[in-house]
Amino acid sequence: MTDHPNSAVRAKGLSKKYKLEWTRRSLIALEPLDLNIQEGSVFGLLGPNGSGKSTTMKLLLGLIKPTEGEAHIFGYPAGSMAARKTIGFLPENPYFPHYLTGAEFLNYCGRLCGLSGSDLKKKIDQLLERVSMTEAGHRRLKTYSKGMLQRIGLAQALIHDPKLLILDEPTSGVDPQGSRFIRDLMIDLKSEGRTIIFSSHLLEQVEAVSDEVVILDRGRKLEEGPLSDLLTLPGKIEIEAAGSEAVPLEEIQKVLEKEGMKDVVVRHPRISLEEYFIRKVKNEKKAKKG
Amino acid sequence: MKGSLLRIQAVAWSTLMEALRQKVLWVLALFAVIMIASSIYFADFTFEREFKFIKDVGSASISVLGLLTAMIGAAQLIPTEIERRTIYTTMSKPVFRFEFLLGKYFGLLSLITLMVLGMSVIFFGVVLVHEQIYVAEITAGAAAADWSPEQVRMVEDILEQSRDFGMVQAILLLWARLALVESIALLLSTVATSSIFIIFASVVIYIIGHLQSVAREAWAEVMTENWMLGAFSAVIAWLVPNFQSFSIIDEILAGETISWAYVSQIFSYSVFYTLIVLLASGLIFEEREL
Repeated sequence: MTDHPNSAVRAKGLSKKYKLEWTRRSLIALEPLDLNIQEGSVFGLLGPNGSGKSTTMKLLLGLIKPTEGEAHIFGYPAGSMAARKTIGFLPENPYFPHYLTGAEFLNYCGRLCGLSGSDLKKKIDQLLERVSMTEAGHRRLKTYSKGMLQRIGLAQALIHDPKLLILDEPTSGVDPQGSRFIRDLMIDLKSEGRTIIFSSHLLEQVEAVSDEVVILDRGRKLEEGPLSDLLTLPGKIEIEAAGSEAVPLEEIQKVLEKEGMKDVVVRHPRISLEEYFIRKVKNEKKAKKG
Repeated sequence: MKGSLLRIQAVAWSTLMEALRQKVLWVLALFAVIMIASSIYFADFTFEREFKFIKDVGSASISVLGLLTAMIGAAQLIPTEIERRTIYTTMSKPVFRFEFLLGKYFGLLSLITLMVLGMSVIFFGVVLVHEQIYVAEITAGAAAADWSPEQVRMVEDILEQSRDFGMVQAILLLWARLALVESIALLLSTVATSSIFIIFASVVIYIIGHLQSVAREAWAEVMTENWMLGAFSAVIAWLVPNFQSFSIIDEILAGETISWAYVSQIFSYSVFYTLIVLLASGLIFEEREL
């Protein structure tokens, strides 16, 4: 066991090199990486394609062996049975067994995790409901949309009630509504005390759910830290207020400038395009039902 | 132990479901057509020749269709899982690699067993129909009590040919050979990534296995003259299973009576070799990067 009782994941000098066939050269997929991810936190892995995000995840899962260094999951060596019992994993672009139905797939995953009988059946029903797939549970996976596959993928990752979730691009290729659904689910899972490590290209989503991020590029760590530290602009303040639309913004701006503040911008706050889209679709649905 | 068996069973179930839902068992319909067509086509033979012919066609068809399923099926077990990335979902669960490998092996073996059983039922069905046709022709509607000694002798001859339990021995050995071939193709699939290469290599090993006795003799003779050639012959003689020992199947089909003790000996050899090959596959797969 490790000497970090609150560490969900701890990696020291974790690196991966691939020897290129027929040459003496090797490809560095991940340069020595140190990580200390606290239990109950949401940790974002950021970086362009080929930056080492998936390699890091595979190393933590024991799917590949590190060239050097080591990693521990809740104190257990990465890749060990004890470590994998604590992890739920959603791979990138999941290709699940398309010949199984959603419920059969969850049954398969549950049996792999040692579940069986009525406990497993109950768990499958609960998870299908949790990811809003109860009705589609009896359909084969080959008939599922990308969003549905991601949701059933999240359900399989949760089948054995893991303390740590590793999600590789959970919202990749999913429409904004599906993406929001997954984001909200991640927030729920965090509130249950689970630790989440995830990668995403949707930076707005990463910002919305992550406590800490690491930025990787070509296998090298560029930056790491709490989002609050990384994104705060030193020397600037932001004022948010609710009130009448009739308040003259120019007046407020003048008052602030009079107080010696520079580069003052006073305007009505904006929501993101994603937020606008979600609201619009929700209202449309409500109107149709009404 | 129980958990391990459950996990192997889960992987085997998934593998079998994939094959069944891809309608692989349609091969049984092909077998039925071959059997019925050949028995109708050669209906002008004497019953001895006809039964011999049906047995030859039946065992050859079981052998060829079984070998195709074992080699092509096993060649795809691991590479397809890696290519589709479905292996990540399974191996991120608390599953030992050898459990996954054995599950894959037994899943395909279950399919092969179902096929062999199905083909055997069709085979014995065709034989039974022909037996009844011949008996009816000879006795021409007379009651058994009124049969002449000549008719009794002829019916006894027919029953001796049609109810030849040597065919059960032959089918059992054919099945054991298929189980061994499947394990060899699986071993190759833990090393190679190309299904075509695995199938090709399996065929080569199968052919070399049939030349085992030649290799053993060569080893004994050449060892004294040229040690390098002798060592090469020895490697082939001791590493490649002796498929020549299954030539007993041809003797059974030729009508020779073989003791169950000898059949058990060949069967045990096959099981022993299969276990060794599976062990080697497990050790190699343990080190493979996914």
